[in-house]
Amino acid sequence: MRETVRILHLVPSTLGQNGETGNVMVLTRRAELHGLAVEVLQQEAGDEFPFDIDLVYIGSGPVSAQIVAQPAILEVASDLRQLADEGVPFLAIAAGFQLLGESVTMADGSVLEGAGVFPVTTTVGGVRVVGDFVVESRLGTLVGFENRGSVVEIGAATPVGTVTYGQGNTVESGVEGYWVGNLVGTHLHGPVLANNPGLADWLLSVALERRGVVYPTDAVPELEEIDRYAAEARRVIAAGPLSE
Amino acid sequence: MTLRITAAVLVGRAVRVAARLRGGGSAIPGKIAMTIAPNFLEETISRIPQGVVAVSGSNGKSTTTNMLAAVLRAHGLVVFTNPSGGNLPQGIASAVLSEVSLSGRLNADIAVLEIDEGYGIGLTTLLKPRTVLLLNIQIDQLNRFHEPERVVNMLRGVAGAATRNLILNRDDNHLVDLDTKIPASAARSVTFFGADPALIEGAAHGVASAQRFGDSRIAAGSRLAAVTVSSLGPSSAVLSTAEASFPVRLPSRGLHYALDAAGATAAARAVLGQAFDTSLVTTALEGLATVYGRGELLTIGDESVEIIMMKNPASLQLNLDALETAPEQVFLAVDEGTPDPSWIYDIDLSALDHVDLITGSKANQFAVRLRYAGIPVGGVDLDIRNAVKKFLALPKPSRGRKTMILNYEQMMLIRNSLGFKDLEGGAK
Ligand SMILES: [Zn+2]
Repeated sequence: MRETVRILHLVPSTLGQNGETGNVMVLTRRAELHGLAVEVLQQEAGDEFPFDIDLVYIGSGPVSAQIVAQPAILEVASDLRQLADEGVPFLAIAAGFQLLGESVTMADGSVLEGAGVFPVTTTVGGVRVVGDFVVESRLGTLVGFENRGSVVEIGAATPVGTVTYGQGNTVESGVEGYWVGNLVGTHLHGPVLANNPGLADWLLSVALERRGVVYPTDAVPELEEIDRYAAEARRVIAAGPLSE
Repeated sequence: MTLRITAAVLVGRAVRVAARLRGGGSAIPGKIAMTIAPNFLEETISRIPQGVVAVSGSNGKSTTTNMLAAVLRAHGLVVFTNPSGGNLPQGIASAVLSEVSLSGRLNADIAVLEIDEGYGIGLTTLLKPRTVLLLNIQIDQLNRFHEPERVVNMLRGVAGAATRNLILNRDDNHLVDLDTKIPASAARSVTFFGADPALIEGAAHGVASAQRFGDSRIAAGSRLAAVTVSSLGPSSAVLSTAEASFPVRLPSRGLHYALDAAGATAAARAVLGQAFDTSLVTTALEGLATVYGRGELLTIGDESVEIIMMKNPASLQLNLDALETAPEQVFLAVDEGTPDPSWIYDIDLSALDHVDLITGSKANQFAVRLRYAGIPVGGVDLDIRNAVKKFLALPKPSRGRKTMILNYEQMMLIRNSLGFKDLEGGAK
């Protein structure tokens, strides 16, 4: 048993726009403040795949970056599916979530094949939704920012939660994201873990549980201070959400 | 048509007076004038004999427009310009209202107009600029533009509208070859400005240009520049052309301001041709007042307060990079003018060693970010007036300067509440 949490960060050079790398920083800082060591491995095109992984993260970016990132993701698609089958927790955001799905149908009708980790399909187009985003999840209220130019079909799968402000996966669905087993995919930006530390702690605890380690729940003053600010941020957004 | 313009001028001016008495709404008069005379902008601005210079980009539009207008004035031209922030059609129309005659004539030789990226194509279609100066494409207002590529496309349209001169930043990932991505025109000459490569390498985060994915391109910096920043001081720089090197004063510290000066100089050189005189550039920039919030120092009581505007990630990063030491007293205010502050996680905040007080509806999100970066936060107070009062009541710092980091909306609000009543965007 080792005490290092190994996080695999997929294609940070392309899918790291708009603060999304902040999610990795949040996971790292929270684990470190609980006395755990963290190693972040960055997976780019052509890199050998490291199987000894506790948590997989992929961020977001514009369509141009998504297209560039796709071959690098396909290279390791079966490896990623294997990790997912083994119960390794995944957090996938927006463009990265879409690339780990089955397919992304572009505005011009062309289809980008996905890694097939998440059984979801994405279609680019529809009305652009931009604004605050409030979702009721099994961990309570999650807040973030939605900036979406596509719809995601998750079939009968469990979503991250019910949308109370914003759009969600599709215009009609009223739900956001995908959360089945240890796989979480969402269009919550913010970055999502910054203002929703409960989700970060859940990911870390699941990651450690697989190794028979219990995620510490001791009071860390620095985290308590951060979490007070995050709780206030959630309260402010949920109390007066705005959109464009 | 002239009657309609006259009516637009009369009504617009009446509204302007009323709006100023109420202390706000500087874009409304222009909007009304354009409702009365839909061709208000074309009819008035297109009569200016030497035409329009359009200035656009993610950051530095106001500063550069201000610099370019000053340089052209130093060369003896009468310049019509829009005040900083008034870069939408209605803002420009408001600026016209304050100077136009009843017949629709503007007393100017040339117009230098700051143009919002999002309105750039529409405005350049109307105004047919002879010269276009594009400064940079940075990650900016993703809530509005969604993807940097959309800004690239908009500015490509603006660039293609230039009939005589196109001036581009060679150190920008997207602008370095924008001239090759627009329909060629024999009448249009293209020039570049930039900085000495050593200066860019030496800057903590370079020029913070938006990353470019996918298409084939040439590397930023690889074009020959007509005007370069060859050295940089605390609030000055040396610019060089093929013929001469000359000093310029900058509004504040930072390579980005020096690049703005180089861009303004390159545009002036293109516009003026033989009449261009580098010594007049030095003179013009020496006497220039700073634009609000761009390195501005306010005097409040017996203290000086430095205002750092965070319009977007690049402007905040470059302004932080330019700090010589961690500021002693720091106030931060961010509201809904920054709808999605996710980008603060892309920013290196290590230039700050603490923040005293944060306010605005996004205050708690900033506090979370700062604390994750290990930067102490004195507290959050969502009552903006109260927060400002508390911050100003802190004992005078030993180095004599308080620092306020504000988004645009908070900057205007706080300037106004402190008694700096002159508004941006049209009122004079
Ligand atoms: Zn202090």
